[in-house]
Amino acid sequence: MAAATDDGIAGAKSGLSLVTNITVLLLVVLWLVPTVGLLVSSFRDRDAISGSGWWRAFTATSQNFAISTEGEFTETPDGWTLTGNVFGPDGSGDVSAFGGRRSEPNAFAPGETGELVRGRTLTIEANGDFVYVDPDEEEPSRTPSLYVATEVPPTFGTDNYETILFSNGMDRAFINTLTVTIPATIIPILVAAFAAYALAWMDFPFRGTIIAIVVGLLVVPLQLALVPMLKFHNMIGIGQSFYGIWFAHTGFGLPLAIYLLRNYMVGLPRDIIESAKVDGATDFQVFTRIVLPLSFPALASFAIFQFLWTWNDLLIAKVFLPSSAESWVMTVKIADDLLGSRGGDWGILAAAAFVSIAVPLLVFFTMQRYLVRGLLAGSVK
Amino acid sequence: MSPLLQGILTVVIGVGGCIGYFWSSNLVLDKVLFPPRGPNAGQNINRANAIRPWLFLLPAMAALGLYLVYPVFGSFWRSLFNRAGTDFVGAGNYAALMGDSEFRGALFNNFLWVLFVPAASTFLGLLVAQLTDRLKWGNIAKSLIFMPMAISFVGASLIWKFVYAVDPEIGIINAIRDTFGMAPVDPLQVDFWNNFFLMVILVWVQTGFAMVILSAALRGIPEETIEAAIIDGASPVQIFFRIKIPQIMGTIVVVWTTITILVLKVFDIVYAMTGGNFGTQILPSYMMEYMFRDDGRATAVAFVIMIIVLPVMVWNIVQAKREVH
Amino acid sequence: MHRTLQTLMAGTAVGLLAAGAAMAQSHGDFTVGEGEFTWDSYQEFADSTDLSGETLTISGPWTGDEKAKVDIVMAFFEDATGASVEYSGSDNFEQDIIIAARAGSAPNLAVFPQPGLAADMASQGLLTPLEDGTAEWVAENFAAGDSWVDLGTYADESGEDQIYGFFYRIDLKSLVWYSPAAFDEMGYDIPETMEDLKALTEQIVEDGETPWCIGLGSGAATGWPATDWVEDMMLRVNSPEDYDAWVTNELPFDDPKVVAAIEEFGWFATNDDFVSGGAQSVANTDFRDSPSGLFEIPPGCYMHRQASFIPAFFPEGTVVGEDVDFFYFPAYEDQDLGQPVLGAGTLFAITDPSDAATAMIEFLKLPVAHELWMAQGGFLTAHAGVNPETYADESQAAQGEILSEATTFRFDASDLMPGEIGAGAFWTGMVDYVTGADAESVAGSIQDRWDALN
Repeated sequence: MAAATDDGIAGAKSGLSLVTNITVLLLVVLWLVPTVGLLVSSFRDRDAISGSGWWRAFTATSQNFAISTEGEFTETPDGWTLTGNVFGPDGSGDVSAFGGRRSEPNAFAPGETGELVRGRTLTIEANGDFVYVDPDEEEPSRTPSLYVATEVPPTFGTDNYETILFSNGMDRAFINTLTVTIPATIIPILVAAFAAYALAWMDFPFRGTIIAIVVGLLVVPLQLALVPMLKFHNMIGIGQSFYGIWFAHTGFGLPLAIYLLRNYMVGLPRDIIESAKVDGATDFQVFTRIVLPLSFPALASFAIFQFLWTWNDLLIAKVFLPSSAESWVMTVKIADDLLGSRGGDWGILAAAAFVSIAVPLLVFFTMQRYLVRGLLAGSVK
Repeated sequence: MSPLLQGILTVVIGVGGCIGYFWSSNLVLDKVLFPPRGPNAGQNINRANAIRPWLFLLPAMAALGLYLVYPVFGSFWRSLFNRAGTDFVGAGNYAALMGDSEFRGALFNNFLWVLFVPAASTFLGLLVAQLTDRLKWGNIAKSLIFMPMAISFVGASLIWKFVYAVDPEIGIINAIRDTFGMAPVDPLQVDFWNNFFLMVILVWVQTGFAMVILSAALRGIPEETIEAAIIDGASPVQIFFRIKIPQIMGTIVVVWTTITILVLKVFDIVYAMTGGNFGTQILPSYMMEYMFRDDGRATAVAFVIMIIVLPVMVWNIVQAKREVH
Repeated sequence: MHRTLQTLMAGTAVGLLAAGAAMAQSHGDFTVGEGEFTWDSYQEFADSTDLSGETLTISGPWTGDEKAKVDIVMAFFEDATGASVEYSGSDNFEQDIIIAARAGSAPNLAVFPQPGLAADMASQGLLTPLEDGTAEWVAENFAAGDSWVDLGTYADESGEDQIYGFFYRIDLKSLVWYSPAAFDEMGYDIPETMEDLKALTEQIVEDGETPWCIGLGSGAATGWPATDWVEDMMLRVNSPEDYDAWVTNELPFDDPKVVAAIEEFGWFATNDDFVSGGAQSVANTDFRDSPSGLFEIPPGCYMHRQASFIPAFFPEGTVVGEDVDFFYFPAYEDQDLGQPVLGAGTLFAITDPSDAATAMIEFLKLPVAHELWMAQGGFLTAHAGVNPETYADESQAAQGEILSEATTFRFDASDLMPGEIGAGAFWTGMVDYVTGADAESVAGSIQDRWDALN
């Protein structure tokens, strides 16, 4: 641990480490804020989200309500009078302000008598009892709408998740995503492992050239492949289908897979492999019995990468999978269906986003130590 | 459930098929074609060993050739034809692109992305890697910063839509402005700078990647080197810049290039956040506008992206060649 | 899909049912044989069509609530024919259908929100013409039938005109939505002329309020709501003939007449005081989110110009006619262009022929196919044979009235223009315009793009 090396400069250490702690804390908070905002919002309903920011989700907020009054006017010396309670006959609540029209819902404090248009007056007590007086000679044709502000306690619920998971076809999209992801992760690993072994431990002409080509292919933008490959899939009769997307992900994932695995395999101890060969093992046996097990960290790290990449992919899914609801993967479902029909419903969108990242997060947190080990062999020289 | 079954079946057939191919082709090679016995045993072993690498390589090379090499040439060829693919127009599509101000804007923005995102991600990744190295809770901090890596770009865009929302009751940036009495702005419409607000999303995602790799590289530096420097009276800052950075320069470059390549592929963020409006168009999302409507143009755009990555590619190849020899 | 066996009750229902049909299916709130629906022809269709075991795939632009409504209509088709229908709605339908057709995996039927896109695909040979006699049937049975035939007729690969599109669902675009309570409390009257509407807009600002909610956001289609504004304005400052010439580009996009229409839209949308959130928020506010200002307390805005489908995006429980209502987007009194109305429609076209696809077009000829959605709200039709009493509420009947009082009816221009203009350059151009570009240069660059097509 590098911490041990600090002992020599003990004096500067405490100050420096405080600064370090605070800086890292700040960075972590900065990194987490966006996700936390979405997480909190995914448990709130549409009105709560547009009513108050997620950072105020845990405190009561003041909201305005329109109340359509009911009942009969009675004639009094002041005029036609309507009385009642804004929370209904059985309800209760705490009015913090009220008003007589939509544009000024907070014009008056509770208990005040508010002057409205045409000499009408309105009084609302804190407990919700109201008195509305219209001095007109004729009985008013309709009862008025009243506006009150009241504190609303914070509410959280899993409704958004229920909507997403049970009534919206998200389950289907989830299964489709798994269907795309698993073969698209395993097949390239197998194909790449053999190739990587050949490039690392076998001697043959053009080996260096092939390695260079693979490295060069790492950077080919996959957009190039979309048009010609869709045409090709059409020609061989698989068109837009799961087969197509598996092949496509395999092709696009191979350069990185070969590159990572070869770099890792090259670093394996030479004597183990050579002594096995001296003992009469064939290359096939050396590969399956020795190299493959030893390369597990590299295999795992590529698997994580390819898994995350295929799980989160939108572009390839849009092009190589049919555009019907039954073959939508989750990213397409969110981008094309949810953003469309629920464009304004942030709660649903937030929940959908969390459903879609749950599995990658799980995979990532359980496998992250392999990720580092496997990658290191490839990049740290 | 049928696609799931289909998937399981494919895994079984695909995996079984791959293993079967490698196993049986080896078997055929060793037992049938060139058996290591009889009068030509020695010669046969040599022959078998000359062929075997190609057996191992065949599936990978076929897939690479089909999905990556052929498209490079196929797309280039297609980009020389008109929108319907019927008439040869030579460089016509490229000329049309150059004449389109939206394309020029997208090209310029793409250069901004290529310069800013890798630089910012690598710098922040290095910073976090160095700082967390000394902390007890360093691993937790690293995990949290790495977390966005697991989020899809569509998901990340949703997350950041919340941050950038104009309504100060939804978007935290405008909420902060609001508390200082400033009028709300739409960050995605701030001329020129909106590009950077979009890039921030990718930096947010990629910093974790840079951090993990660089942090491991920093730990790989021999302790004696650093201890010797401390004894010589070097300050922590000096140690960092004079000793650690040069030691991990190779890793820094690898991280930088990896992120550069990624930047040129990402279209989801722009697609989901602005749809390329407000002067935020980049080449991958510009290409989507034409794809399957005017394939000539679309493939020409793809080829321009290819040209941009060409220097990175050449550099990578040179590096790889040097390693092999 | 669910079928319920119901004991037949005495009453009118029995009389309507054909003999031998012992099973009455119901989906949503509707049951075969009940209500004001035209069930007779449905029964005939059911008796004469058997597609058991076949699957019909349909792609369209309807998602969410609208998908739920169309699913109910389709359920009755399934009951009648035994076929199963798989409808998929996508927000990026315009892009998806092209990719699918090119990949050879097109659905049997596609629901095009834009005749322009359908015409594009017809000319590439990706659509199959409707059966002979469809044109005559539409001309006879739709109100103003000939115009609907024209809108559904495109040139095929060899340049020959054929009928491809069958219109199902029409949207009325020239509507302004408002809150009657808010208007009442502020003492505002419904404007009868464009002059009045502009005066009201200024009046609301004087009262310290915000008159309009405008939102152009729509994912990859961001900008389209502005094209409706411009088209409506086009009909209010120029003659219908100019409008038709504009659609075909005989009147160039950068003609001063078109620029004037764009600037008329700009009068409303690019004034910080006139729009909720200021002019800047116009471009990025999602169109589905934009009417919410009408329902806020205090109001975020007082008026919202949008087509007849928009109630699908109002907050849950909103009653059209009580909480919110609409008025006709008025014409200039001094322009003498009558009462122009802008509309649009979605059309079914066959992308992969099958018996079931043909049967679906036959089904859509039945009044009940239209009535079933009319009764669910948010649906207008040109079919003259439907029973207007099946409209969900009076407000829809009122929309029908606006349609019939129109002196000029024109179809949404952007939907008729080539896809790259009407579903591309026009959209992005409008976003550029509301974010500060001037009308002339925007119109010029759209025209450039159009020139590049020819």
